[in-house]
Amino acid sequence: MQNAQPRVEQLSHDYRLMLLSRRFDERVTNIIRSGVPVPHYHSGEGQEALMVAAVTPLRKTDQMIYTHRGYGHLLAKGISVREVAFDLFMKAGGTNHGLGGVMHVARPDLGVPGREGVFGGRFAIAAGFALASKLDAKDDVTLCFYGEAAGARGIMYESLNMAVLWKLPVVYVAENNGWSFSSRTEWLFPEGRMSRVWRGFEIPVEVIDGNDAEEVSATVSRAVARARAGEGPSVIEALTHRLAPHIWYDQATYQPPAEVAAQREHDPLPRTAKRLLALGMSQSELDSISQSVDQEVESAFTAAAAAPLATWEDGRRQMEAL
Amino acid sequence: MTVTKLTGRQALNRTIASALAADPHTVILGETVQLSGAPGGPLGGIYDRFGPKQVIETPVAENGIFGAALGLALAGFRPIVEIYSADFLLVVANEIIGDMCKWRQQHARSGPLPIVIRGCMGPDKGGGLGPEHSQSMEAFFHHAPGLVIITPGTPRDMVGLLRSALRSPDPVLFFEHRRVYDLVGDVPDDESFAIELGRAEIVHEGKDVTLVAWGWMRTEAELATQTLKAEGISVELIDPRTILPMDHETIARSVAKTGRLMVVEEGTRTGGVAAEVITRAAETATRPIRVARITTPDAILPYSASMEQNLFPNAKSIAAAVRAFALSEQPVGVSSH
Repeated sequence: MQNAQPRVEQLSHDYRLMLLSRRFDERVTNIIRSGVPVPHYHSGEGQEALMVAAVTPLRKTDQMIYTHRGYGHLLAKGISVREVAFDLFMKAGGTNHGLGGVMHVARPDLGVPGREGVFGGRFAIAAGFALASKLDAKDDVTLCFYGEAAGARGIMYESLNMAVLWKLPVVYVAENNGWSFSSRTEWLFPEGRMSRVWRGFEIPVEVIDGNDAEEVSATVSRAVARARAGEGPSVIEALTHRLAPHIWYDQATYQPPAEVAAQREHDPLPRTAKRLLALGMSQSELDSISQSVDQEVESAFTAAAAAPLATWEDGRRQMEAL
Repeated sequence: MTVTKLTGRQALNRTIASALAADPHTVILGETVQLSGAPGGPLGGIYDRFGPKQVIETPVAENGIFGAALGLALAGFRPIVEIYSADFLLVVANEIIGDMCKWRQQHARSGPLPIVIRGCMGPDKGGGLGPEHSQSMEAFFHHAPGLVIITPGTPRDMVGLLRSALRSPDPVLFFEHRRVYDLVGDVPDDESFAIELGRAEIVHEGKDVTLVAWGWMRTEAELATQTLKAEGISVELIDPRTILPMDHETIARSVAKTGRLMVVEEGTRTGGVAAEVITRAAETATRPIRVARITTPDAILPYSASMEQNLFPNAKSIAAAVRAFALSEQPVGVSSH
């Protein structure tokens, strides 16, 4: 059992990143509401505990494959909110200079190699990274998030079979947020569970509360430790809620307002704040986190608004730099 | 430069072995590679020599294998992935076109992403492998930007082009025709010998007709060229060696001289590589030129070897087509059947 102090430190660190992710989403949502389209934007509202607390246990040299939804994973792996904003608005100075936008944010030096275009390829790409660690006798781990679309594809079976066969250091984390665009998870997976079938491999398969940052952190840490020790892959299914529409143009009329309101009761942000207060943090400390997050988001969006659109040459220059 | 006579299979085996020996991060992934890889292929003895850290036998799971190859390349390895038969690449079209080809650009990734996908293709000498083991696959993939496609037609080219493929910053499809495995030819012993990608070879100089052929068709076209020479028809035979990039310039220069372009393609007719070669030549010609192609007809290949044999172009049908083309002003559009 951890003593209280490091626990508060870890949780407040996670809370700050969660809030950064939330404020980013709120800011973009306001832009969309003002009538400005923001192509490729997928809000992560409601999933911050999962996105952040699953990534902060990783080392810099560990690889993280994110989903298209939400930006907390990227922030937690060390990418700045400024870079994410620049990629979102296709500005020169983001990670890919408009060649991939916010769907393909990449910082290989931080263990963020990028994201496949058609959902599902990720499982095997992650297995490949894990195979590289194993062949090089390194103890780096690859953590691969997946959603309802990717998880329905057969590549997950092919990849997990290889990962179990070769004891690869890879952790697959399902983001079960109840929706696949406008389809409910239970319409797509038996009993709405995205991990049950993998128990057949006799590896750890855990279903957890994805809105509980401490539970996410503890579960991922166990799976990562197991992977580092050469004991092979794990699957974690984190249950969470998508509190926002699927994509910027979606009105989400299929999401019953009463259901969303009930899910807001489990919003990980107030929940984590409350927990931090219970662990002894003061309200003024929470306020100061909030202020610094607001400033960071403000300065990122101001810079993004002022920056020029990226050109073809900007991206090509970065590609050709060896 | 000293040379050794080798079959295509031996030449590849030697080149692959030296690549694995030179770099521990060059690894092979594929099905049945512990034994020998695809039947008739070049991997005999490779596992015994390099072991499981460099020669990785995979489950029969192409999406998994190709995705893992991309992960390995992103992690700094140089994977050589064997597809058991080139036809099966359709299973992993998304891993190749959707992920491997686009990855560098979508992420503005600095540095190369070296992945060589190699596999045997086309009918073997006996034929009758069926329509899912005998197709020509280059046309399916040559529409994809960001890809390199190589179709060596001789043991020498197998070596020189594979060496360049292994240095390519972009993913490569390296198609090994089953009949070229058994061809014998001179291969330079010099380990630094390589052939630049995108450079055609003028196999035979001539003045009456430009004939373009690659892979196994190069050999059939060479035989046809000799036959026609005896009849007084002078053929300029060009092997582009790579389908992507295609050396349109060398072809255009030849057509400027001959005024007639015939392209031989073992693949089926519609939407083939020949169509692109002819279009480019027509677009850049400064005077009217005559064009034609000889291809396999738009047919699903039968299992029966004797039926199949009649569908592919061969030396005889190529010679007949070129003869008609060279001597007549009538349109010639030949499916080999």
